[in-house]
Amino acid sequence: MSAPIVQLSNVVKEYPLGHVTVTALDGVSLDIDAGDFITIAGPSGSGKTTILNMIGCVDVPTRGEVVVDGQPTRTLSDRALTSLRLHKLGFIFQSFNLIPVLSVAQNVEFPLLLQGHIGAAERKKRVAEMVEKVGLTPQSGQRPSELSGGQRQRVAIARALVTRPRIVMADEPTANLDSVTGQNIIELMRHLNETEQTTFIFSTHDPKVMAHAKRIVRIKDGKVEDDGRGNASNNQAAA
Amino acid sequence: MYFTIAVRNLLQAKRRTLLLSLAIGAVTMLLVLLQSLSQGLNETMIQAATTLSAGHVNVAGFFKSKPSDASPILSDAPPLRAILEKETPGLDYVIDRARGWGKIISDSGSVQSGLTGVNLAEERTLTKIVQMARENEYRDNGRDQVLGDINKLAEPGQLMLFAAQARKLNVTVGDQVTISIETIDGQTNTMSGTVCAIARDIGFMSGWSVFLNRSSLKSLYEQADTSTGALMVYLKPGYRGREKEVMDSLRGILESKGYTMMDHDPNPFWMKFDKVLAEDWIGQQIDLTTWEDEVSFLKWVLVALDSITFFLIAVLTFVIAVGIMNTVLMSVRERTREIGTVRAIGLSQSGVLTMFLLESLLLGLFATALGSALGASIAWLIDSSKVAITDDAIKTFVMSDTLHLSVLPQHVITAIIAFTFITGLSALWPALRASRMQPVTAMSSAT
Ligand SMILES: Nc1ncnc2c1ncn2[C@@H]1O[C@H](COP(=O)(O)OP(=O)(O)OP(=O)(O)O)[C@@H](O)[C@H]1O
Ligand SMILES: [Mg+2]
Repeated sequence: MSAPIVQLSNVVKEYPLGHVTVTALDGVSLDIDAGDFITIAGPSGSGKTTILNMIGCVDVPTRGEVVVDGQPTRTLSDRALTSLRLHKLGFIFQSFNLIPVLSVAQNVEFPLLLQGHIGAAERKKRVAEMVEKVGLTPQSGQRPSELSGGQRQRVAIARALVTRPRIVMADEPTANLDSVTGQNIIELMRHLNETEQTTFIFSTHDPKVMAHAKRIVRIKDGKVEDDGRGNASNNQAAA
Repeated sequence: MYFTIAVRNLLQAKRRTLLLSLAIGAVTMLLVLLQSLSQGLNETMIQAATTLSAGHVNVAGFFKSKPSDASPILSDAPPLRAILEKETPGLDYVIDRARGWGKIISDSGSVQSGLTGVNLAEERTLTKIVQMARENEYRDNGRDQVLGDINKLAEPGQLMLFAAQARKLNVTVGDQVTISIETIDGQTNTMSGTVCAIARDIGFMSGWSVFLNRSSLKSLYEQADTSTGALMVYLKPGYRGREKEVMDSLRGILESKGYTMMDHDPNPFWMKFDKVLAEDWIGQQIDLTTWEDEVSFLKWVLVALDSITFFLIAVLTFVIAVGIMNTVLMSVRERTREIGTVRAIGLSQSGVLTMFLLESLLLGLFATALGSALGASIAWLIDSSKVAITDDAIKTFVMSDTLHLSVLPQHVITAIIAFTFITGLSALWPALRASRMQPVTAMSSAT
């Protein structure tokens, strides 16, 4: 079996909060394989967002090692982390986070423009394809404010996938959607996971959403309770 | 795409954009207006000065027959004139004017004045620029018509007064006056003259100027015809603004021909008597000046106006810079989540910086272009509507009875570039703050 695309080993993340230090992650070790469709589950405040931030290279651990696609992130410069995010990662946010002044197609095109090396014709083609895949071709000229929540999240999915990233991070992608729409979004993600071979890592509270995952990692108080393969970090530490 | 984002964000925040544009545009407009006023004054001044008392470059000097006296004359003008006409860089033409100082006496009063003896045949701008006054401008119950004719100055015994002098002397065109002067030997000579024309005042300089026929003035002073007051050198349009340069090269040329040159003293000739009297030499020395030197005593008006402009604009600029900074800071705060999002997606720090700076620069460019266009139009409107100046003191200083404003393209362009740059500079700090935001902080912010 090939090396895991994401490796967390003994990751500790501490936040200074006034005079005290909040330990958001307390020795998390986790391997994620390429092509997986994995959910991070746990109660509020358990550290789901923090884990996704570590894997998504928007934050680095206080101690321990996070390796994304072969690169240990703790020692990377901001520039290198930015490049890693641009080329290897995609993001889907709980509240969609589209650029309000850009149209659907322009939002999807944005990361391709940042990559810089793709010609206008190729960009146009890829944007059109991606918008088509999420079923928004008729809306592609509209602004995000003219779309429903579910439609906006589809735009976000298209934006995350248009660069053909290795991993897509999604922090509670369905939390701001009604349950039927949420189900549709997860099904779309699952479909893209199958067809594009993209690794998806998402967090959720919702058991119905969780049910779509190939693997469920349960965390609590910054520790892995169940890594979906019958291991828990506490057990490992005790062993 | 940066451009699209910037433009659309500006359009999105309409109120804010409008307010800032108004402020930036207003200051730019003010700057363009004040500059055009200063430029207009400068142009009026050069025109008045070069008509009344100076060429672009003046070749004059003092002749001392003994160390204790000094005549403001060139004792042997023709060879000097020949050199100037041959060797002056950028020369348009040379004219020769005799100079004196004396008293004009009428039945009811007298005035002290500089006397300028002109050879009308070689004068080029005098008859065009000096405007004749209507009789009711210098005489109560005067006729509403121009009397007299400046061209009569070609005849001996004719003189031209300015309105303020005519009013003091209570004379009109055709009246006889007595001109009284004192020669270098202390002898008083007088002659009788006929007022052939009365001109509109050109600022307060004209109050000290009486023009008369050159040979009449020469014979009044009992001077040889080869001596004169000043050779005034006029330059071609391309050489305007390079008077100093031309003056310096003339200095070298004349020195090499054996003339003795006085050190450059940037003042009109009548301020130099005491100095020359105190000096211990005899013979002829040549004094070179530019038109600016000849009106140096008026320059403070321009300096004052420019200082006020600078101070006013500096204060307003500061206020606006703070305003811009604040606005961009607000916009950064509002768009924190957007910044986080684009950073997460892979926009670099410098990309964020570019995004915010571009927005401000576009706003600046738009506002300054509009503001300066408006300023230039207003200046043009004021200038072409020939607004009359009613206050006498102001009239005196601007040397004109209508307000003249002149917009130079380079002033407009400088204003646009400067204020766009200032807008960008004011946005720099908040933009840098935006770019240094951690993507995770930016993302987790509320709203
Ligand atoms: N920037 C921060 N500063 C201080 N404490 C933080 C910060 N971010 C997270 N924490 C703390 O770290 C812990 C884990 O937070 P995290 O957001 O990862 O939890 P979560 O599982 O995503 O919760 P939720 O389900 O509410 O989103 C919490 O106790 C939280 O208060
Ligand atoms: Mg969370």
